[in-house]
Formats: sequence, structure tokens, C-alpha cells
Amino acid sequence: MAKRIAIVEDEAAIRENYAAAFSREGYVVDGYEARRPALDAFESRLPDLVVIDINLKDDVEGGFELCRELRARAADLPIIFLTARDSEFDAVSGLRLGADDYLTKDISLPHLMARVAALFRRLDAMQKPQGTESRITRGDLSIDTERMTIHWQDQSVGLTLTEFWLVHALARYPGHVKNRQQLMDAAQAVLDDNTITSHVKRIRRKFHAIDERFDSIETVYGMGYRWISN
Amino acid sequence: MNLRRQLLLVSLLTLMLPWAGCEFIRETEIALRSGQEQMLAGTARAIAGTMVQYRDKFPARDRSYSVGDQLYIYRLDSRPEIDGYFDDWTLPPASLRSLRGSDGPIRFAVASYAQATYLYVEVADRDVIYATPQSLLVDGASRHADRVTLISNSPSKFSEAFTFAAEAPGRLISYRQSPFGFEAQATITAFWQDIPGGYRVEARIPSGLLGPRLGLIVQNTADPLQAGTRSTSFSGRMPGLAMSTIAELEQVAEELVGPDMRLILTDADGWRVAAAGVLGSGGGEPLGTGFARRLYDLLVERGKEAAFAEPDPLGREQQPYVSAALAGRERGAWFRSADTGTAIVAVAAPITDGVEVIGTVVLQRGTDAILSQRNEGLSRLINVTLITTLVVAGALLGYATWLSRRIRALSIAAEDALETENLASAFPSALAGDEIGDLSRSFSSVVQRLGEYNEYLRSLASKLSHELRTPLAIVTSSLENLEHEELNEASLGYTARAREGADRLRRILSAMSEASRVEELMKHAEPEQFDLRAVLHSTTRAYRDVYKHRLFEFTSSIASAQATGSPELLIQMLDKLVDNAVDFSEDGDTITLSLEMQDDEFLIAVSNPGPELPERMRLQLFDSMVSMRSGNDSRHLGLGLYVARLIAEGHGGHISADNVEGGVCFTVSIPSACNLGATKR
Repeated sequence: MAKRIAIVEDEAAIRENYAAAFSREGYVVDGYEARRPALDAFESRLPDLVVIDINLKDDVEGGFELCRELRARAADLPIIFLTARDSEFDAVSGLRLGADDYLTKDISLPHLMARVAALFRRLDAMQKPQGTESRITRGDLSIDTERMTIHWQDQSVGLTLTEFWLVHALARYPGHVKNRQQLMDAAQAVLDDNTITSHVKRIRRKFHAIDERFDSIETVYGMGYRWISN
Repeated sequence: MNLRRQLLLVSLLTLMLPWAGCEFIRETEIALRSGQEQMLAGTARAIAGTMVQYRDKFPARDRSYSVGDQLYIYRLDSRPEIDGYFDDWTLPPASLRSLRGSDGPIRFAVASYAQATYLYVEVADRDVIYATPQSLLVDGASRHADRVTLISNSPSKFSEAFTFAAEAPGRLISYRQSPFGFEAQATITAFWQDIPGGYRVEARIPSGLLGPRLGLIVQNTADPLQAGTRSTSFSGRMPGLAMSTIAELEQVAEELVGPDMRLILTDADGWRVAAAGVLGSGGGEPLGTGFARRLYDLLVERGKEAAFAEPDPLGREQQPYVSAALAGRERGAWFRSADTGTAIVAVAAPITDGVEVIGTVVLQRGTDAILSQRNEGLSRLINVTLITTLVVAGALLGYATWLSRRIRALSIAAEDALETENLASAFPSALAGDEIGDLSRSFSSVVQRLGEYNEYLRSLASKLSHELRTPLAIVTSSLENLEHEELNEASLGYTARAREGADRLRRILSAMSEASRVEELMKHAEPEQFDLRAVLHSTTRAYRDVYKHRLFEFTSSIASAQATGSPELLIQMLDKLVDNAVDFSEDGDTITLSLEMQDDEFLIAVSNPGPELPERMRLQLFDSMVSMRSGNDSRHLGLGLYVARLIAEGHGGHISADNVEGGVCFTVSIPSACNLGATKR
């Protein structure tokens, strides 16, 4: 059965373009231009994935509001913010509200498709029993590439998709310096230096929450980052 | 010239106060004096009118001799001893009249006291030739001795001569020579005294022996056989009328003269015929000798020396104002002694009998009262105006200091505000109601507007990029969709080109919003401790990989540099600087990075060979959207160095660009103990 994707976006042209792209990939797409109609529609049936713009017409923070309400309704529903707002503050706010990813409209359609596919894959993998062939272990770190989850010292680290890909790219070849371009490619996103820096910062913080002595991601100034296996 | 000097100069205008005061005093003084003068003139005229009735008492004028042929007989106040000394004569030495003698001046005086006439002669004589008893006996007066002769017209109109010659110093016998013969005069007492370089003769002659005309002859010889030279007090054949005060007129004068006044009556030739009265001090205190005195002498019209107002010692009043009166014109005069402070107002009025001037009335009055009054006023005025001037000058100076300090503070604050773009800073004097307050407020609003404008410029890029992002997303997503359609060769080319363009646009937008992202990052950045040297070292290596056509060098004289801040941001800053350095250098050039420690600051320098910076750009270089790249290099919007500056300033540092030998050097100073985020303005 085809997955349903809801796009809440006030800009009709973008909405239509994204809808066309998703349809081409075989998804069923519902477009909404504001929070109210979207919520009304979700009342009867929840989609499998929601793409939300933060700024919805006159509803400046409408996307955040919608995300909050949806998250309250369905804890596992994948939610992606796709917005023109590229500020760090907005990204943090969006992720804190429980969004699975925060993307800027710079992202290309293929990248967006890849992410959506990945999110669905993760969702599917969660349903299946854990397989060992898809597991990578680096000391305290264990990566489940199938479910796209990461454990540190056997505790789950709640990473977004982008963060997962970054960690995955680094940890796959410990000791190798990954430059920003390589990391960007791995994360299937167009990110600038600052965004990568803040992503890495966020990742470190999440690991620190579990293990205060975590220092496996090393900054190689001027070059990039590398994973140090303990 | 600064404001203080200007106002100090203006305060010099207060010196007008003492000047005006002095002018006022001078005017007052002149008015007072002329009042006194007029009063005196009135009195003098009245006296002159009175004197007309005594016209027969004035000596008759005789044109057969000149004024110079006349002698003046003084009145003595006491009887002099006949001893050859002048000091017991109650006359000033100036009363001695001079004649030219062959060996030097001859000085003499004739005076009277109690029915006797006294003669004093002082002769310069190199060798005194005494008379012999024989020569005295033969013809009464030897021709061959030094002698003094008094010529007189006796009342019986005969000419008589009284000769004084000495056989030896001491008492001598005088001989009288007249048409009736030659005889010794026992009634005449005379004394001859030798003095160095001459001799002196003093004699007393009973007044009855002498006629109205008197003359003096001095015979000086150096050889008993020679007659020698003759000096006379008259030029004609006979001497002129001897003048003296006239008792009747003096009595009248005594009656007419007022207190504190002196009345002098002269005849038509100016000979003093009467003098009465004493000049009083005028009742005031004389001027002192201090500062006021000297200033006064500087300020006030000096007048003639007071001594000239005194009765002429030679008996003939010759002051110009008296001469004017003798010529028939009433005239006033003003005398003052700078030494004693005595001031005298004098008026001379002619006495006319209707036909001609028969004499003058000279009336004098001491004006110390005016002086004193003025003196008191003067010193008060000087004190008051001096204090006023000082107070005004001091006040103006203080005011100017205050004013210039305010303006200075304002100017410094304005410069400061422009420099740091600290718009919140309050300007000094902002609440003042005066022009400086206005100026301050205008400054404030100008700076504020400037700041708003700058802020607008700064936010323009990020706002613009934000607004453009959505339409760009429409374009890109449409293109991406289009690529999935069936397109012919040509359309594929077009879409590819459109994608390229959109891509470029995206990069530009990304660059435009970089500054605001950096600002935001710094707001939330958590400063960490790191080795700046290691960071730079590592980064330099990375640059070698990135920019293959440039050489990179890193120098540092310090072994390690523990800095606080965000290494990522600092690297981003370095990226901008290096990017800039690469753009302005040629292939194969060496770009040098260096790290030094100065005081408490790290100095990071990036220098590259290349064209120099234009001087006018040096300060603007780090502003938003200022680029000195020519042409349309789309990668650069003049934001790179602005971002570098944001990062440097975010670390509490400073960025600057300088031209160095054959290139450009960008220097960033970062405090070693920086508090990232807190120093953010």
C-alpha cells in the first residue's frame, strides 16, 4: 500500500512541485496550505509522514504549532520541517518539538526523496526484529544501519536522520578525517560550514548526555572531523 | 585658537572699565579745575579792576632803558650779617642773578631790609689783584685792582658810584664817587672774602645814599698795570630803574587776597611789585607715592612743574600765562609737582587803565582738594575695576573651560559613537537647554540614524536572502521536476543552464545570510579553551591542500597559545582572510600566516603579496557589502571581510588591514582571555 504524505505549505508552487515529486516516487500526497485544514483532515486520517513549513501564511509560527499538536496525537509519526528559515534557533526549536528532521528549502528534490525514503525505511525496520548483519560496532558505539539508530554504551542516542548519517559517515572508518563536503554528501544535504559545525555540536551534546567522557568525535581544525575509537 | 583663549581675549575687554573710569576721572578733574580756574579768573578780574585805582602806585615806564638793564631788589625777612656769606640772606640761591665775567660767572643779588640796601656779589677770578693803599688814596679807586662798583642815580639825578675794592680780605672801606668828588663812605659796611677761584663781596648801604636807578660793574684785572675787563648789569650808558615790591600795593594785595591763595601783582614788564598770601594745601591730603600715585601720573595731564608757579626768584614773572596777561589776554595755567603732589591752578589777568596794560594780577590757588578727591576716587576705582576685571576674566575663563569641556566631551563622544557604533551611548549635555544641548541632541539623532542605516545595511543581506529563498525553492524544485519530463536535447540544455543559475543564486543567498548566522552562532557559542597555535598550524596545512597554486607559510615565535573562544569561528574568519589573500595574489605566491603575542593579545596576521589597498577603503573594507574587487565576481558580495570582522569583534578583538612592502597584511587581535558572547555589542 502506498504511503501517504501530507505537505503543509502555504506557497502553492512549492507545494505542487513537492507533491509532483513525491507522486512520482509512488507516494500518495495531500497538500494543505494552512494549519487548520490540515488538522481537520488529520482528524479523520493521519498520513504516514508530514512535511511542514514553519511559516504558514499569516500564521508565522503555525508549523511549530502544528508539529506540537501532531506529536501529541501520534508519537511515532515522522515529521519533517521544510522551511526557508535557516536560523539555528528555529532548527533547535523544531527538533525540540519532536520533528525528525529540519530541512531548509535549499535541499534538492532527490535529497528530499532520499530522506523521506530513509525515514520510511527506519520506520519499517523498527517493526522488524533486529538483525545483526546491519550492525556496525566501534567500541562503545553500535550503529544499526537498518533502523538508523545508534547506541552508545548500550543506550539509545536519539539522533535525527542528518545526525545519524553524519555519525555513520565518521564512524565507518575511524581515524579517517572526513571533510565538510564528504559529510555533506553523506547527510544528503546541502549544508554550509556553520550548519555542519552546529550539527556536530548537537551530536556531541547528545552523546555527552549519556557519557560525560565522550570524546570520540575529534575536530581536525581546517580539515574536518574524525572518529576516534576508544 | 581654542575657545578658552578666545574668551580670555574677550575678557580683556573688561580692561575698558578702568580705562573708562580713568577717563571719567580725568574729565571730572578737568571740569573741577576749570571751575576753579573760572572762579579764580573772576576774582582776578575783580582785583584787576580794583587795582586800576592804584595805577599811580605802579612804577612809571621809562623807554630809555631795556628790561634787562633793571635790577630787582628783594625784601629780606631778617638782617644779614655783613660777613661775605649768602646763607643768612632769606633768599633762595636761584635769586642770584648771573653776569658773564672774564674768568667765569658773576652772581649777585640786591636786597633791602629796614632802610638799608644789601649787596652780595660772587666773582669768579683766577687771580685776585688787591688794591694798594696808595692807589686808593690817589684817585679813590685804583684802576689796577679787582673791584665791584655799584652805580646809582642819586635822587638828585647825579650819577654816583660806590666802589668796593680790597687791600686785603676782610672789612673794607667803600668809596663814593660823584661829580662832587671822591670820598670814603663810613656809613657803608662791606666785607671782602676770598674763596677758591674768586672772591665775594657783601655790603650794606643806607638806602638814602642810593637813587632809583641801580647797576653793577665788576672790574676784573689780572695785572696791576692793566685796566682789565668790565662786566656790567646793564647794557646802556646808565642802568635802569631798580624794581622792588611796593609797600602800598603789597598792603592792598594783603587785603584782597583770600585764604589759601597767592596774589602776585606785576608791573607792565612783569616785575613783581607785590606778593601776598600763602598757598594752602587746599584741605586735602596729598597724593601718596604708591601705585595709585604712579598710575595717576600716567593717566592725568601733567601740567607744568609746580616750581614754575612760585614767584620768580629773579623778580620778573615770565611764565607764558603771565606774558599773555601782559599782552592783554587773561590766561589760566595748571601746575603740578610730581614729587610732592602739589597742584596749583593759576590765572593771570591784565590790569588796564583803559589805554594800556599797566600790570597784571596773578592769582594762584592750591588744588589739593581736587587731587585728593580724585585720588580717593581713583584708588577706589582702580581697586573695584581691578577686582571686577579679575572676577570677570576668571569667570569667563571658568565658563570657557566648562564650555570647551562640554564641547570636547561631546566631540569625543561623537567620535566614540561613530567609531564603536554604540548607539545606546548617551551624549553629554543631552538634557541641556542651550545650543550645546541642541548640538548634542542633533549629534545623537545623526549617529542614531547612521546606526540605523548601518543596521539596515547589515540586515539587508540576510533579509534579502531569506525572502529570496522561497522563490528560489520554487525555481529549483520546478526545474528538478522538469528534468523528469520528456525533454528534447535543447530543453535539457536549457534546464541544465537554469539549474546552474539557480545553484549559483543559492550560493549567493547562502553567503548573504552567513553574517547573520555567524552573529547568531556567536550569541550562543560556548567558549572553549584551545591552543590557537595548533589550530593555525593545522589550518595552514589544510589550506595547502585546498589552494594548490599558492604556497602557505606559518610562523610563530610562541610555542603554544592558550586561547578562549570558538576555534571553528576563528577558522571561519581565517578562511575569509585566506580566501581574500588568495584572490589578490598570483599563482606561486606565498601567503604567510603568523601568530604573535603582544601584551595580553594574540595577533593573527595573514599577509599576501599583491596590489595595495586604496587608502580610502581601508576603514570601510570591513563593512557589510563593501568589496574592492572589480568586475562582477559573483562569489563576492563584500561580505567575507565583514564576517571576519564580526568574528574578530565577537571575540573582543579587532581587525585591521595595512599595506606592507609589496602587499597587504590583515591583522586580527584577540584578547587571550576573551569572553565570547559577552563582548558582543
